[in-house]
Amino acid sequence: MSIGIHGFARLAGAPLAALVGLLALGSAAAQAPPDLTGAWERYRGPAGDPATPPPESKPPLRAALLKQWEERRAAEREADARGEPIAKGYTHCIPEGFPTMMGGPFPLEIVQSRSQINIAQEAYSQLRRIYLGKPLPKPDDVEAGFYGHSVGAWQGDTLVVDTVGIKEYVTYRDAPHSPQLRVHERLHLVKPDILWDELTFEDPAVLEKPWTVTFAYRRMPNYEIIEYVCEDNREYADDKGVTRLRLQGQ
Amino acid sequence: MRRIVRLLGPAVLALAGAGNASAHHSFAIFDHSQTYLLKGKVRSFQWTNPHGYIDLEVREGPPGIDHYTLELTSINMLQRAGWKSTDVHPGDEVTAVVAPLRTGDSGGLLLELRMQDGRKLVPPVPAADTFKRSQQ
Repeated sequence: MSIGIHGFARLAGAPLAALVGLLALGSAAAQAPPDLTGAWERYRGPAGDPATPPPESKPPLRAALLKQWEERRAAEREADARGEPIAKGYTHCIPEGFPTMMGGPFPLEIVQSRSQINIAQEAYSQLRRIYLGKPLPKPDDVEAGFYGHSVGAWQGDTLVVDTVGIKEYVTYRDAPHSPQLRVHERLHLVKPDILWDELTFEDPAVLEKPWTVTFAYRRMPNYEIIEYVCEDNREYADDKGVTRLRLQGQ
Repeated sequence: MRRIVRLLGPAVLALAGAGNASAHHSFAIFDHSQTYLLKGKVRSFQWTNPHGYIDLEVREGPPGIDHYTLELTSINMLQRAGWKSTDVHPGDEVTAVVAPLRTGDSGGLLLELRMQDGRKLVPPVPAADTFKRSQQ
């Protein structure tokens, strides 16, 4: 809501209390955050689409770690080419955790209130909670977990979130991190139904510089999240850590 | 959407339902260079995550195969593509197009299921068009 000069002229004779009330209402409306509540799916638009984020870069790891990371990626590619993919947490029904859950693979659901925002990932029924208006604890004061401890605040139309306390075992694209990792996010609508989450990894112990990854999501009107329980994976890891399929009768 | 499952080709469905699930789960255990055509009777239809499964008694297929385990995508992906847990029952006579395990064991990835009543059920396999069809 905005009140132009002509509006002020018309209000000149109004009681002061009413004027103050109207101004307060206008201010509150201008500051009202966008409503992100609902289901969202990853969005990848056509080439040249400004609503599609730039492609991901590889993690700017310190030299020795980057070498290990690239060797591991190469080993995974070679194992896939042999038809012997290396078993991952997924094989053992272990959810990806944050921030991988923000990348999909299934839809997300955002539920927004004044004090808290919950983001659920349909796969594995994962859930992270973002507490608004709370101070960010030090990483050492948080018991590390799969989703960390997240606090957030609205800065205009942008939801700014900081997360610490992510288990070292829980990685994004297998990039190692230290217990001091802090992930800074900026969530904002780039179009009425396209949301971006710009995630910046800050971890000087392992990164040469902050690493930013951006996900885009498209609103899914009327979609209701489906439950997901990793109930029976017949894929398993053999004694060499290779993914195998348990067959009928085994 | 259920209607679309029956009318559209598998590549289109793969694009519609895949998301980035392929980044989440490797399909490298399955042979991308050939498919098997298996005819037989459903022994069980397992409606679970992270995958659905069909156990099949094979009557007609490559030599030496008398039973086969068919892996499906996540049942969440199946539901988004229009599948229901009641689409397939034990005892159903079916024809399955599968990408076999590269080990040669009696299991594979289901790419298409043809039912006796004419229904064609297509799981939304990510990048389904990368599986070369050798037996239709």
